[in-house]
Amino acid sequence: MLKISNLSAKIDNKSILQDFKLEINPGEVHAIMGPNGSGKSTLSNILSGKKGYEVTGEVMFENNDLFSLETEERAHKGIFLAFQYPLEIPGVNTNVFLKTSLNAIKKARGEKELDAIQFLKLVKEKAKELKFDEEKLGRQLNVGFSGGEKKKNEILQMSILNPKLSILDETDSGLDIDALKTVADGVNALRKKNNSFLIITHYQRLLEYIKPDFVHVLMNGKIIKSGGPELALELEEKGYEKIN
Amino acid sequence: MEEQLKIDFEKNLKNFSYSDQEKKFKEINFKEFLKQGFPNRKLENWKFSDLSQIIKSNIGELSFYNNYSKENQIEKIELINELEHNKLIIVDGKIVKIDFKFEDKDKIEVLVDQSEKTIRKNINSLINLNNAFSNKFCKIIIKKNYSLKKPLVIYHSTNKNTHFSNTNSRIDFKLEENTCLRVIDIFKDNSEKNFINIYYNFELDKSSILKNYKIDKTINNNVKYSYNNVNQEADSISETFILSSGSKFFKNEINCDLQGQHSSAFVNGIFDLDEENHHEIKSNINHLVENTKSYQLVKSVLEKKSKAVYQGKIFVSSEAQKTDGYQLSNAILLSENSEFNAKPELEIYADDVKCSHGSSSGSLDENSIFYLMSRGLNYKEAKKLLINGFLLDVIEKITDGEIKNLIKDLMGVKE
Repeated sequence: MLKISNLSAKIDNKSILQDFKLEINPGEVHAIMGPNGSGKSTLSNILSGKKGYEVTGEVMFENNDLFSLETEERAHKGIFLAFQYPLEIPGVNTNVFLKTSLNAIKKARGEKELDAIQFLKLVKEKAKELKFDEEKLGRQLNVGFSGGEKKKNEILQMSILNPKLSILDETDSGLDIDALKTVADGVNALRKKNNSFLIITHYQRLLEYIKPDFVHVLMNGKIIKSGGPELALELEEKGYEKIN
Repeated sequence: MEEQLKIDFEKNLKNFSYSDQEKKFKEINFKEFLKQGFPNRKLENWKFSDLSQIIKSNIGELSFYNNYSKENQIEKIELINELEHNKLIIVDGKIVKIDFKFEDKDKIEVLVDQSEKTIRKNINSLINLNNAFSNKFCKIIIKKNYSLKKPLVIYHSTNKNTHFSNTNSRIDFKLEENTCLRVIDIFKDNSEKNFINIYYNFELDKSSILKNYKIDKTINNNVKYSYNNVNQEADSISETFILSSGSKFFKNEINCDLQGQHSSAFVNGIFDLDEENHHEIKSNINHLVENTKSYQLVKSVLEKKSKAVYQGKIFVSSEAQKTDGYQLSNAILLSENSEFNAKPELEIYADDVKCSHGSSSGSLDENSIFYLMSRGLNYKEAKKLLINGFLLDVIEKITDGEIKNLIKDLMGVKE
């Protein structure tokens, strides 16, 4: 589904990712763990199309050259990024935003757009599953939301848009244990045969609830070690310094 | 210009039947205008908008005489279909139609042949120009305890063949005790290169409510000045909303004298400018007695080489204790060549008051754009959503639901 080969990235001439390689097949869950500044967020930004990076190498997503696609086209093809710091968008109603987003993607795919009634039914159902306060759907996007609510809102968006590849950028940070479980339930509900996940995290805590198929350790812009779920436990025990 | 002015003024005096008193009034105003000319940047009030230069570069030579004897035909005027309303239609500065068909006839008095006799000190030479050249003006009186059922829409229109010319219009309104009037000004120009000069006088008696919405959305090459003078008695409320967008140049000046206790004034505005349009809002809120309130919010979205100016003045006299005055302006500059000028002025002579002001300007947040695009919106859609969101809280300040929806429709703000 996703194949990253020899990816290097620089920002302001500072090298962040070097010769990065990763392959994710349909249905797989990969976790990338690494210390601060190892390039985790850069990776998620590059995959979802944020500008400002000097990039070499190749990223293929289902036979598409990712670098030839605009940010919104990547979303249309089924890539979703759950932001580490979801933005507050004043004056934009959360429901309106969700509907605009879903219909933009449906339109690009040549599918039938949802009308207001169909959409409300869908969003209510998903909000209930994620224990997301329905009242917040009528409010301005993320404005006045707590840290946990913002993260839940990301997962709500993910479950409504139903992407093929979801990238979760430190979605667990700032979540209390109940919220963490809810978020994990949301991810697990979406974990079907063909949906893949790239979970970026500092800690193995989230991975207790979302069992990854593969764990990779990222340091200084490179994957230095890959393994199964047991690698996360080893990391937790030894720390990043000693794992190498 | 002076030669042309004199000829046009003489023509004006000769061709319309003014009384000696009216003639004298007009002559005094004309002399004053001749002395001062169009306002220029040497005047503090006009330092960001040199009207004299703006007229020179956008219009060139103006003519000042309008032959109202030929019927002022309008080629076409698109009326608002979205809401039922009373109508007042002005073509080339002359009122051609007044229709209060939704109202009780004995509750509204329309005096069409008004002329001013007393000579007041005018705030600028444009009022002198208006007094010298505007024909007889109209005064609308709303009788005690009457709230109009429907808003009054004033259509400001110009003929297609009226170019290089100055048009002046004036309307006075008196809102008697405990009345409510909603006025929507719509600008629909069929002409180019005109200087359009509008002067409204509002007298708000005790507990009356005035809501004035000015909508300048149609793109045109005219230069406009509009002056609202609002005198407010106790417990009266004035709400002014300005959507400043379509004209080449437009300066809206709002003067509110809060002279009765517990009176309040709200001035909200949106500058939505493109190309080389240059617009200004200048407010003077004068708190003259105790316990009065004013609130002002102006937001700007500026494309290309457009320029917006907001000069908001809050004056608090020494008697006006317990004044509550607030003003805020925010601007988004969408191009390196666009410009926003804010000059807040607070002049306070009382010691127990609450007054504050703030202003910010910046560009569209790229991270927010990225966030929205990562959810499938293209750049244009993301930008539009953010801008609408930015402007929404000004639109939400509109207290009339029906008109709020009309303005949302006009601006393409979806809910």
